[in-house]
Amino acid sequence: MTTKSPGIPPTRYRVGRRGFLGLMGLGAAAIGAPTLLAACGNGGGAVGSAGGGGSVSAGVLPNYLPIEYIAPDFPSVNGSTAGYSSIPGDLVKAFSAPPGSGGTFTAMTPLWGTIPPTEGNQYYDAVNGALGSTLRFQISDGNTYGDKLAAVLASADDVPDWVSIPTWNVPPRFTEAVEGLFEDLTPYLSGANVEKYKNLANIPTDVWKFCVFNDKLYALPFPGEVINNAIFYRRDVLEGLGITEQPTDAQGLADLAKELTSPGDQRWGCEDLWTAATMMFAVPEKWTQDDAGNLVHRIETEQYRAALEWQVELYASGAVHPDAVADKTEESKQRFESGESLIATDGVGGWHEALSRQLQSNPGYDQQAFAPIAADGGTPVLYKGSPANIFSFLKKNEDPARIEELLAVADFLAAPFGTEEYHLVNFGVEGVHYETDGDGLPVPTDLAATELQPTYTFLVDPPVVNTKVQYPGFVEDYCTWMADAAQYLADPLFYGMQISEPSRFAALDAPFPDLEKDIARGRKSMADMDEAVETWRTSGGDELRQFYQDILDAQ
Amino acid sequence: MTHGSSQDVRGRGDADDPALATVAPTAASAAAGTAAPALATAGDAVVVDEGSGRAGAVQPRRKVSWRARLARDRSLILMTMPAVLLLAVFAYIPIAGNVVAWQDYSPFLGIADSQWVGWYNFQRLFVNDAFWHAVGNTLLITAFQLVFFFPVPIVMALLLNSVMTPRVRTTIQSIVYLPHFFSWVIVVTVFQQLFGGAGFVAQRLADLGYDGFDLMTDPDTFLVLITMQSVWKDAGWGMIIFLAALSTVDPALYEAAVVDGANRWRRIWHVTLPALRPVIILLLILRLGDALTVGFEQLILQRGAVGVDASEVLDTFVYYQGVINGDWSFAAAAGLLKGVVSLVLVLGANKLAHLFGEAGVYKRA
Repeated sequence: MTTKSPGIPPTRYRVGRRGFLGLMGLGAAAIGAPTLLAACGNGGGAVGSAGGGGSVSAGVLPNYLPIEYIAPDFPSVNGSTAGYSSIPGDLVKAFSAPPGSGGTFTAMTPLWGTIPPTEGNQYYDAVNGALGSTLRFQISDGNTYGDKLAAVLASADDVPDWVSIPTWNVPPRFTEAVEGLFEDLTPYLSGANVEKYKNLANIPTDVWKFCVFNDKLYALPFPGEVINNAIFYRRDVLEGLGITEQPTDAQGLADLAKELTSPGDQRWGCEDLWTAATMMFAVPEKWTQDDAGNLVHRIETEQYRAALEWQVELYASGAVHPDAVADKTEESKQRFESGESLIATDGVGGWHEALSRQLQSNPGYDQQAFAPIAADGGTPVLYKGSPANIFSFLKKNEDPARIEELLAVADFLAAPFGTEEYHLVNFGVEGVHYETDGDGLPVPTDLAATELQPTYTFLVDPPVVNTKVQYPGFVEDYCTWMADAAQYLADPLFYGMQISEPSRFAALDAPFPDLEKDIARGRKSMADMDEAVETWRTSGGDELRQFYQDILDAQ
Repeated sequence: MTHGSSQDVRGRGDADDPALATVAPTAASAAAGTAAPALATAGDAVVVDEGSGRAGAVQPRRKVSWRARLARDRSLILMTMPAVLLLAVFAYIPIAGNVVAWQDYSPFLGIADSQWVGWYNFQRLFVNDAFWHAVGNTLLITAFQLVFFFPVPIVMALLLNSVMTPRVRTTIQSIVYLPHFFSWVIVVTVFQQLFGGAGFVAQRLADLGYDGFDLMTDPDTFLVLITMQSVWKDAGWGMIIFLAALSTVDPALYEAAVVDGANRWRRIWHVTLPALRPVIILLLILRLGDALTVGFEQLILQRGAVGVDASEVLDTFVYYQGVINGDWSFAAAAGLLKGVVSLVLVLGANKLAHLFGEAGVYKRA
């Protein structure tokens, strides 16, 4: 199970004492977000054919009206994340007056960090002031957010007005909760209705499509990036060892990891590379089609088996850090950053987080991502990441004015880079949370560390751009790497569709993450995998295939 | 006096004894799978001696009327009320939630609206290989730890009791029960740092030319590993109860034994161990009731390291089925079955204790 942190704090994977759920959620996230969502069925199969099937009627989606305040220094290529290398001197004021009308709302968000005070917090006071509405945050530890969420959602009275739900924390049977608990936003945002909210209208259609449950628009998105994961290496250490050549195939990567391993120096080649293996071997996240057009599940594919066999060899070579062999994933970042292991897969958001932790004490720290590698050295295939990583939902409310006020607030929070609103939400108040340095870059104050933690952004966020200008060279490294990688992107089957599988299929996939680990570590063989796949088929897998085939046919 | 000290503990069999009133439900709730505070159990056990003065009154009490007993014990009953209330709210009332085992329960529909499915979940349970595998693992771990973990605190207490200098004794005592207060994450991490593939031992061995030592990822020795961890963490803590029992032994008995010519070994056999016997039996019964509970965090933390085959036990099975897969009813059925079997084990063990003439956990008034 590899850490994966798409665009948001990867520290959430630092699994604490009670973080098992997060960890498991991850396991599923590695298979692909739809798995998780799919794991939530509707008890009696009561979902209408249109609902469970993930199909979206034409009138449901909001119109897309892109706005751009400043042209990015590193433009998007094939959907890659655009980047800015500086902060513009004069920011655009997107809202002439606060959009809210004085209401007070509760909001629940996860946080992977120290929870800030919610009372007497100048950041909240400033943002709430600019919003014209008061959001009172109930912030919970991101590592255990799923547990908390399951409890909160099971008791309707405790559900806050606005709930943030990471895609990997979507609890089982969630579709039952959506209809009962949350407001259907279709009447407010569908089609031309969204044009009232210009920043929400700036969110691409694919992202909105992912927010549709049972053919109704329920969620507001925290958009994701097209590439969620990367294979990172420590360029500083590798160059110190005289290695500059990049691996071009799976064997090359395994050889490199082996070459770097030197237990006597407390140095190992890599962390667990399962995510890397699935990327190199282009393992589909859930379903793919064979040449005859039949649906083939990920676990039945040649790619999946090849990736597993590659892992077996990697583990057998001794290149994997022993603590990673012991599945201590929570410390994998620590091992990588301290140089005990030199190659690791992580979510792309983990990159700047590592820099923020390391650059201060180790200015020479240099983490880079390998260009995409195809297992056989040919042309790589990368499956696109989910269009949204985190959703937020509005609690049902009799009064449409309350919903409209929240949507106006959401519109404010979705203001893109280059606006005063974005600057306020992301950097706080000048002189209080940051000082502007000679290059016009915001330098966070000590108060920012305690008060300014990402909270509003987890409710709704503009389309992703990279604005981490504070780390020298990072935006360029990041955007050029992703622009290059984006040329290999492919749409997975059922891309961006919100499909709810019947709950009787919920446990079907459950044995595989464990089995993947067992096989990699040589505790089980590929014969056990054959057996598990056979069990999967007979205990519902073939039915599930038919379920998806029907959806495919209906398209 | 040996006899007298076992009488002390027998006093606990008295249903009216406030100390016991707390001990028994604690055992029951532990059996039902609810985590009862271990501290309370230990504390109650130590308090026992205070009730011993009344132990002689057991026989005539039967004739006193119910009303008179109520009047007499009023203040004692009042004192137990907070504990009873806590148990009712946090143990007994939630037990009713077990009805979801007969439903296709969804937390979003609630118990009232979820569909009733009869014994379906239990049927699934009985044909589920993974479940029986988990049961097998659980029993294996219990049996192994009964032999290799349970006696350790007793031996430690005997050893420590023979240390005469009070200062040395308290120092050792503090050191050995300190790990009890570490969380499992820390314990597992410490073991990883020591015995893992990149740990201290592996490094020293590698220096000497032996490569590949890694105790933490070997499923075959996992049983030994988790027992080592448990001993390190909890043996010192378990010792306290035995030390408390030992402290009640009248030194005059030892002196008398010495006068009779008993050597050190004989004194342990004829004086010390008989004094400990009731406590050992009591804890053994409690342990049997807990036979299907072999640790949750410890195992879940090392699940990835050794694989599911070695580490899946009933509690982790319930967690993964219920919380992770959302199959709450199936998990509840498994949990309920575990509770019922645990209850039978406690009752059986208690009965056995009576047959051997011991007080056990409780007995009829």
